[in-house]
Amino acid sequence: MADELVFAGIRDLGARFRKREVSPVELTETLLGRIAKLDPSLHAFVTVTADRARADAKAAETALLRGDARPLLGIPMGYKDIYDTRGIRTTAGSALWADRVAEDDSTCVARLQAAGCVMLGKLITHEFAWGIQSPGHHFEPARNPWHRDHIPGGSSSGSGTALAAGMCVGALGTDTGGSIRGPASFSGIVGLKPTYGRCSRAGVATLSWTLDHTGPMARSAEDCAYLLQTLAGHDPLDPASSREPVGDYVRALERPLRGLRIGVPRDFFFDGADAEVTRAFETAMATYRGLGAEVRDVTIPSIWDSPSFMVIMASEAFAYHERDLRERPELYGDLLRERLLSGALYTSAEYVQAMRLRERLRNEMLDVLRSVDLLATPTSPKPAPTFAAMWDASLGFPRSNTPPFNLSGLPALALPCGFASAGLPLSLQLAGRPFDEETVLRAGHAYQQATDWHRRRPSV
Amino acid sequence: MNEITLEDVRRRAAVAGITLRDDRVEMVRRLLNEALAPLRRLDANAMRTTEPAATFDARGGDDGR
Repeated sequence: MADELVFAGIRDLGARFRKREVSPVELTETLLGRIAKLDPSLHAFVTVTADRARADAKAAETALLRGDARPLLGIPMGYKDIYDTRGIRTTAGSALWADRVAEDDSTCVARLQAAGCVMLGKLITHEFAWGIQSPGHHFEPARNPWHRDHIPGGSSSGSGTALAAGMCVGALGTDTGGSIRGPASFSGIVGLKPTYGRCSRAGVATLSWTLDHTGPMARSAEDCAYLLQTLAGHDPLDPASSREPVGDYVRALERPLRGLRIGVPRDFFFDGADAEVTRAFETAMATYRGLGAEVRDVTIPSIWDSPSFMVIMASEAFAYHERDLRERPELYGDLLRERLLSGALYTSAEYVQAMRLRERLRNEMLDVLRSVDLLATPTSPKPAPTFAAMWDASLGFPRSNTPPFNLSGLPALALPCGFASAGLPLSLQLAGRPFDEETVLRAGHAYQQATDWHRRRPSV
Repeated sequence: MNEITLEDVRRRAAVAGITLRDDRVEMVRRLLNEALAPLRRLDANAMRTTEPAATFDARGGDDGR
């Protein structure tokens, strides 16, 4: 089957299904074949659920023949392996959970499956969504299809790899400090971190309660809109789930962009950025001006307080893992164990002060979003680092532009906006007002109608 | 509050009952140092009182749950 179909989007596939040009069974078999061919070297999947995928695809085909027109019917998906799936192991990329099988589907998986999606399998995650797998770890880390010596981003690493390599049509990710947007950035795909509370976290392994988000990953803003349409909505099983009404994300894509106001916060987000990153970003802003948007600089006075994010994330992560860390530390990977333990070293007063800084930053962002409709930044100051750099504990974490939007809870989309000279993808981040995913996705979609970065494919 | 030293990390670890690998103490020191830098700059008494919260509505306030 031609690459053109393997990389097709949700709307296009739905139309082809209904015209009977291709069936969900044929598409699923093709993707399973592609996984068998590519995944031994890319390591995106922890578990391939081939039998389940074939059964889902057959059910979708039967429903299509009955005239069922649901947009996600027959769409092959991969689920990050921290989303519980009933009867199928959910490992969180960790030896600690290597054989763990959940009794129920997570809410997000249940909603997508009820909408007719085909479950291709479970996608590797950085260990417990924070620790990249080092050599000798129980699980192999996913490789970046654009350059296998480089990470695909994380923690939703398998999701980024599988989408970039054309092994699934959509995927689920989670984002505590950028784990949807980072892989989107480094793998050249699209990822949406919705507003905190917009999508349920029930049945998803916790990293940090007040920062964790679930959301869709795909190859276009349009596909993210289709997936969000099914994922969004109140869930009584998630204490942070919002009752805010769900928008019409797909219909909103067609609204014109003219008059949209985009604010560019110059402080912090461009600190240490590669010249290629800055150039690609400015070119993207020129594209937006050409589409009728107004682009201007804005200031978020407390943005340099963002690194206090780590006080919150590490403290909450330690609270979640403390018992296992003390009783079975050998089951954690080396890098993750020390990162988690660092969460025990903050005082309660420091946690509270970090939460106060967080609230001040959030209020300032909301103030800025009274004068503009969106904030735009590079998603990452640099393209994907190498595995060697990530495994070297002396080098520390690469700088990231994503945590401020976990602190503030604002919806944020990462989408491709160019390539570095080394052939690695570059990415644009768009963030909007709380629960205004419609505007974020609309702006992403308009950009992708005017550019073709998201249509470039790695040579795999 | 001053910059976090290796000794600070070891002292905090002892208080928490945590054992860190010697070759990872510097990594943890750097993590703490970067994370706590904004708190070092903060005058907590001068800062307007804000409630730690992470819930929203479309207008940016309490969503009344």
